[in-house]
Amino acid sequence: MPGPIVEVRDLHTRFGDTIVHDGVGLEVREGEIFALAGASGCGKSTLLREMIALQQPVAGSIRVLGREVVGLGDEEALPLRRHWGVLFERGGLFGSLTVRENVGLPLREHTELGDRLIDEIAAVKIALAGLPPDAGSKYPSELSGGMRKRAALARAIALDPRLLFLDEPTAGLDPLSAEGFDELVRRLKELLGLTIFMVTHDLDLLWGVADRVAFMVDGRIAGVGPMQELSKSEQPLVREYFYGPRGRGAWEQAWKRK
Amino acid sequence: MRCVGAWTVDHVAGLEARLDDVGWPADTEVVVEGSTVRAMDTAGAWVLHQILQTLERGGRRVSLRGLRAEHEALLRMVGSPGVGDVLATAAARPSFLERIGASAWAGARQTVEMLSFVGEVAVVGVRSVLRPGRIRWKPVLYNVRTAGVDALPITGLLCFLMGIVIAYQGATQLRRYGANIFVADLVGLAMLRELSPLLTAIIVAGRSGSAYTAQIGTMKVTEEVDALRTVGIVPIELLVLPKIVALGIALPLLSVYADVLGVAGGMVMAKRELAVGFPDFLDRLQYALRLSDFLVGIGKAPVFAAIIAVVGCFQGFQVAGDAESVGRRTTVSVVQSIFLVIVADALFSVVFDTLGI
Repeated sequence: MPGPIVEVRDLHTRFGDTIVHDGVGLEVREGEIFALAGASGCGKSTLLREMIALQQPVAGSIRVLGREVVGLGDEEALPLRRHWGVLFERGGLFGSLTVRENVGLPLREHTELGDRLIDEIAAVKIALAGLPPDAGSKYPSELSGGMRKRAALARAIALDPRLLFLDEPTAGLDPLSAEGFDELVRRLKELLGLTIFMVTHDLDLLWGVADRVAFMVDGRIAGVGPMQELSKSEQPLVREYFYGPRGRGAWEQAWKRK
Repeated sequence: MRCVGAWTVDHVAGLEARLDDVGWPADTEVVVEGSTVRAMDTAGAWVLHQILQTLERGGRRVSLRGLRAEHEALLRMVGSPGVGDVLATAAARPSFLERIGASAWAGARQTVEMLSFVGEVAVVGVRSVLRPGRIRWKPVLYNVRTAGVDALPITGLLCFLMGIVIAYQGATQLRRYGANIFVADLVGLAMLRELSPLLTAIIVAGRSGSAYTAQIGTMKVTEEVDALRTVGIVPIELLVLPKIVALGIALPLLSVYADVLGVAGGMVMAKRELAVGFPDFLDRLQYALRLSDFLVGIGKAPVFAAIIAVVGCFQGFQVAGDAESVGRRTTVSVVQSIFLVIVADALFSVVFDTLGI
C-alpha cells in the first residue's frame, strides 16, 4: 500500500485565546476521496488552509506529497502548489478574466505550452467540469453559483494535479446541482486518478462519495473511517450529527441507492 | 508509430512545437503503439487525440493498441463532442468597427441612464422635502463631517500654497510696473472667484466622490442595496440624498475657508516679495473686491457639490458583479466629476461675463 499523500500530526492552532486545533492528526491515502466533516466553525477550513500553506499552525506537522508544509514560504511552496488544485468555498475566480482565461492561467504560468494548445486544454477542462459550451467566453459574474463552482473546479484541475482540495464544494448549490457535483467529483477521481480531500457539511457527499470521513469536534478528530463505520460511533456528538433528522434522511437515501 | 515516454503537461510543449513539421507516413494504415507511454494526463491525451485526427484526416485508417485502460479513458474524454462545442464558441474577437460601435452605444446608454438617475433623485428629493420627517439627518451630519470637516487640513494647505504661488508669479510682473499693491487684486479675485471653489471641488471629488462610488458599489456587490429595497427603504433616500445635502452644505463652507487661506497665502508672499504689509494688503482688498465676487465663487460651490455627489453615487450604482468593477467605476467617477466640474466652471464664466457680474 502506498504511503499517505497527506499526513497531519499533532497539529495545534490558536487565534489569540481561541484554540482551533488541539492535537489534530489524520492521514489521507493515495487515490481516495477523504472528507472532513464537523460543525460550522470547528476549524475544518482552517485545517485545509494550513494544508495548502496559506496559513501557519502554532505547532505540529503537515506533510503533503511527502513534504513538510508547516513553515514553508511561498517561494518554497511553489513546486508543491503545482501538484495540487484548490477549489475555494466561493470559487475564487478572477473577475477580470473569462472562464477560459481563468482555467488557462495556471497553464500559462507553469508550462511552456502555446496559446492555442492552452485554449484547447482549457476547453477540455471546461467540458470535463460539465459547463455548457458558451460558458468559456463568459465572465464569472455572468455565471450562476453552481456554474461558478464548476468553473473554479475546472481551474483547480487545469494542471492535472495529483491532489485536489475542495472547500465546501456543494455549499450554496441547489440539491440538483449538488447531486451533479457529487457525480462530477467521482468521475474526476476515476478519470484523472486524483486524490481528493474535501471539507464539507453535505451529508449526501459524505455518504455517497467519500471513501473515508473524519469527524472533527472541539479541535480534535473524533473519529475516522468509512461512513458505515463512523455512523456506528458511540460519540454522542458524532451520533447527533449523523442521526439528526437531516442526517437520517441522507443515510436512507444512500442506503436506497445501494 | 510509437508513442514513448511521459505525455504530460510538462513534456508536451516540445512535442507540440514539432508537430507541424512531422512528415506523416504515406501508408493508408497506421498502427499507433501506446504500450510504451509511461504517463499521460489530459494535455497529453489532447495532443495524442489531435495527432490521431490529423492522421485520419489524411485518409488513413488508424488503430491504437497497447494503451493503458486509464489512458484510453482520458483519450475518449478529450475526444467527446462537448470539448469541440466549447472550442467552437471561442468566439472571434469583435472587429474594430464593432468595438467602436459598442463603446459608442455604451456611452449613449450611460448618458440616458445618468439622466434617469438625476430624475429619480429629483423625484425622491421632492418627496423628502414634502415630508421633511423622512429626511435622514444623521447620515447628513456624518457626511458633512467626513466630506467637510475631515477635508479642512488638505484643502487649507493646498489653497494656502495656491495663494503663495499666485502672488509669487504675479510679483515679478507687478514689480516691473511698480504696481506692487495690486497683488491684492490679483490674489483676491483669482482665489475668490475661481480657484477656491474649483480647487475645493477637485479635492472633494477625489476624496469623497470616489468614496461614495466605492461605498455604494461595494454595497451593490454584497447585495446590501437590494436588501435595503426589500426592507422598504428607498436606496436613493438613504444613500444618495444625504450625500447631496451634506456636500451642498460642506462645499460652500469649505470654499469660504479656502478663500481665507488662499488670501492668507497671498499676503505672506506679498509681504516677502513685494513689501506689501498686511494692513495695506487688506485695505486694498476691500477696494478690489465687491460682494458679488465673493458670492460668485460661493454660488458655484453647491452646483459643484451636486455634480460630485450625483456622479459619485450614480457610478456606484453602475457597479455590476465583481470587485474589479468597483475599482473601474471609482476611477470613472473621479474623472467624470472633475471633468464636469471644470465644464460647469467654464459655463459659469460665460454666463457671468454675459450678465456682467
